[in-house]
Amino acid sequence: MIGAARGAVLGAVAICVAGAAVQAQTVALTGGLVLPISSGPIEGGTVVMVDGRIAAVGADVAIPAGAEVVDVTGRVVLPGIIDAMSYYGVAGEDMNEVPNPLTPELRIIEAFAPFGTFGSGDAGEIRVRELLQGGVTAMYVGPGDATVLGGQGAVVKTAGARFGDLIVREPAAIDITLGGRPASTYRDMSRSPSTRMAVVSQLRELLVRAREWVESGAGPQGGDAGDEGEAGAGGENAGPRNLGMEAMARLLRGEVPARVQANATRDIRVAIELAEEFGFELVIDGGAGAHQMRDELADRGIPVVLGPLSHPYISGEEIPDPGDYGGVDERNAVWLNEAGVHISFASFSRSFGTFGAGVAGQWLLIDASIALGHGMNRADVLRALTLSPAEVLGVSDRLGSLEVGKDADVVVFDGDPLSIRTWASRVYVGGRLVHERQD
Amino acid sequence: MRFTRRKVKLTLRKPRRARSGPAIAAIAAIVAPAAIAAPAAPVTAQAAPVALVGARIHTAAGPAIEAGTIVFQDGVITALGADISPPGDADVVDLSGMVIMPGMLDNHSHIGADSRDLNEFPTRFGPQHRIRDVLSPDDDFWKGAVKGGVTTVVTGPGSGEVSSGQAIVIKTWGGSIDDRIVKERGGLKIAMGRKRPDQSPTTSMAVTALLRAKFIEAQEYQAKRDAWEEGGREGPAPPRDLGMEALVRVLNGEDRIRSHVHSAHDILSIIRLSQEFDFHLTIHHSTEAYKVADDIAAAGIDVVGLPLFTRVALSDEVMATGTVMNEKGVRFAFHTDDPVVGSKWQRGNAGLGIRYGMTEQDALEAVTINPAAIAGVEARVGSLEPGKDADIVVLSGTWYEVSSLVTRVYVDGQLAYDREGEGP
Repeated sequence: MIGAARGAVLGAVAICVAGAAVQAQTVALTGGLVLPISSGPIEGGTVVMVDGRIAAVGADVAIPAGAEVVDVTGRVVLPGIIDAMSYYGVAGEDMNEVPNPLTPELRIIEAFAPFGTFGSGDAGEIRVRELLQGGVTAMYVGPGDATVLGGQGAVVKTAGARFGDLIVREPAAIDITLGGRPASTYRDMSRSPSTRMAVVSQLRELLVRAREWVESGAGPQGGDAGDEGEAGAGGENAGPRNLGMEAMARLLRGEVPARVQANATRDIRVAIELAEEFGFELVIDGGAGAHQMRDELADRGIPVVLGPLSHPYISGEEIPDPGDYGGVDERNAVWLNEAGVHISFASFSRSFGTFGAGVAGQWLLIDASIALGHGMNRADVLRALTLSPAEVLGVSDRLGSLEVGKDADVVVFDGDPLSIRTWASRVYVGGRLVHERQD
Repeated sequence: MRFTRRKVKLTLRKPRRARSGPAIAAIAAIVAPAAIAAPAAPVTAQAAPVALVGARIHTAAGPAIEAGTIVFQDGVITALGADISPPGDADVVDLSGMVIMPGMLDNHSHIGADSRDLNEFPTRFGPQHRIRDVLSPDDDFWKGAVKGGVTTVVTGPGSGEVSSGQAIVIKTWGGSIDDRIVKERGGLKIAMGRKRPDQSPTTSMAVTALLRAKFIEAQEYQAKRDAWEEGGREGPAPPRDLGMEALVRVLNGEDRIRSHVHSAHDILSIIRLSQEFDFHLTIHHSTEAYKVADDIAAAGIDVVGLPLFTRVALSDEVMATGTVMNEKGVRFAFHTDDPVVGSKWQRGNAGLGIRYGMTEQDALEAVTINPAAIAGVEARVGSLEPGKDADIVVLSGTWYEVSSLVTRVYVDGQLAYDREGEGP
């Protein structure tokens, strides 16, 4: 898949990237403050990238012959930031299949368009410049939150030679929304489910059908998710294909988690009950009121992907049901972290009318710095932007820390990564320089 | 799109920099009575002066003062500098290691009112509506603003209609709503651009045409009243029209137009109207102002602009609006459009301004003295100087970093917020 086509594109890229000589296969970043996340800070450390992967990290690292050596003294080197929930690249109209509240068969990857504004932009190499300049090298992209079960999300990178190169994991989760938002969608249409009760009841009904479907032995058994080629290898009772049920089966078999958007404690509680009843892996998204249940979430080992900490004063107009946000407090992350809950920061960025393409993920570090101010320690804040989201997204074997063998998604920041003034000055994705900012 | 619907405010004011002396005098005349009329703060008069000592002080009126002292009494700053000795009877507060900045202003906010009360959609043109009639001192959003260091706001109605009504300039803390008003005439809101399709006008063209017709109607309305006055008040007075009176105030220079406007062509349209009818205009949100910066500079219009902290994903060009405006010599202020973004993130707007190229001083002015000047209340608030209101923010660190915490806020010399004892 990489092969010749990629090589050809690389050639072109070398011309495009200002100042980057040959797109070296081996790069050594030297002299910076290296924060591997999986281990302690290294002053004047070196990171070596070979053929797209991290080959060495440390204070006394031999630099391979022929390596391009980049002196980043005075700068800070981190693994790429991972935005654990974004709607970047998904047009507003494509986020929610509103006529049907439950659409497990839908896959966001089929609406994901990281090519810039429709009708403009450059051909070739895909680079989401706005996100790269904030140090974001990967993100989870999912269906919208206006319906009950929107479909299947994906983990993607923010730069790659071709679309296929962006995809890290797909499908990566089933996206579900509880609370007032889906209810208000259908209340506005005078149809069901227009209450929280009906939202939960319809979701439970789907889970019951899915369990029956799995137990009946229908459909493909296990195997690669979404792999159409395996369709023939069904169980003994394999009947007609049912793509929605196959997606639900992946959830019930534990192959992917459910990302359940729930902010009020009552909705978080429902999510936990459903996860227990049907035995699926649960991630709480949003979690505005999660601090009120922090001990329970910690005990159960349920991770929380936090919405923006600057969110507490979001407008009533944006929130169909302000009751979803009763317990909102910008110290949420601090309290959850102290209680031992696994947390990740996320932008939940979406296109806002005609004013942007959902690139707020580029300011994820800034939002996270609010938690720093309220007393969360720096190392924990940075982990919640890198390794923790990688774990929640099921991609920590490849992303989230500077460790030998992982993807060489590496960001050089021009200063304290948690200062509002700081930009990513060099960004490598898969060992290739995909963004550079001149001082 | 919700963004569009909700945020429209216009500040109309005589293009002050493009204007001659008499016009400025007229404005000053308006400011002065308002300042006097507003009950001078809930004066639980301080018996003794207060002296804050040891902090790095950003005054917004000059360079930062290291380890400075600021003294205030009866709600007013009495002395400020590096070598000030606190008066003998002063209550001295040691703030060594801390940072002080002026109480911030937000020139475009909707706080104090229930969001359902901001837009009277069925009335497409409602200049007679007044935000003052729906403000509640109990609104929680006031507290958020104070905690974030925003001590004065221009709060007004929404942007769903072509004109949604009149804004006021008000402190975020103090006594009753009336006690807190800094300036009654905070501007008449106009929202340029497309409107909901259920009722005309719906297109930008029709919105601009309606405004032009209304300003002409206001001229005619006033001419009728003038004729009646000049004719010795003979016969019955022409019937009053409260909406027309609001427009007449704008035409007379007693009030200004605050215009919600996003697209470049709408910015040009409202500038054109301000020149046709000679009214004082400020533009708000100003999303595409960077595209017509020269036109804005030539017209002498002040800009209240983006970003809205990290809330709205905008292009780099829009994020750099403040930088572009300052380069063109246009006075620029940030806003939060609270509740779109909490007032407390006004400081974050300044930080983003610096990220996108503004100097620290320019960014500071864009959340303090500039929004004050744009609202016409710079004589009282917006900088730390002797004689001005003692609206003071104390921070734990660099003023524009959102990781710094606001630890104390004084409004009119009173301690309005103290982080100590607030819990974890």
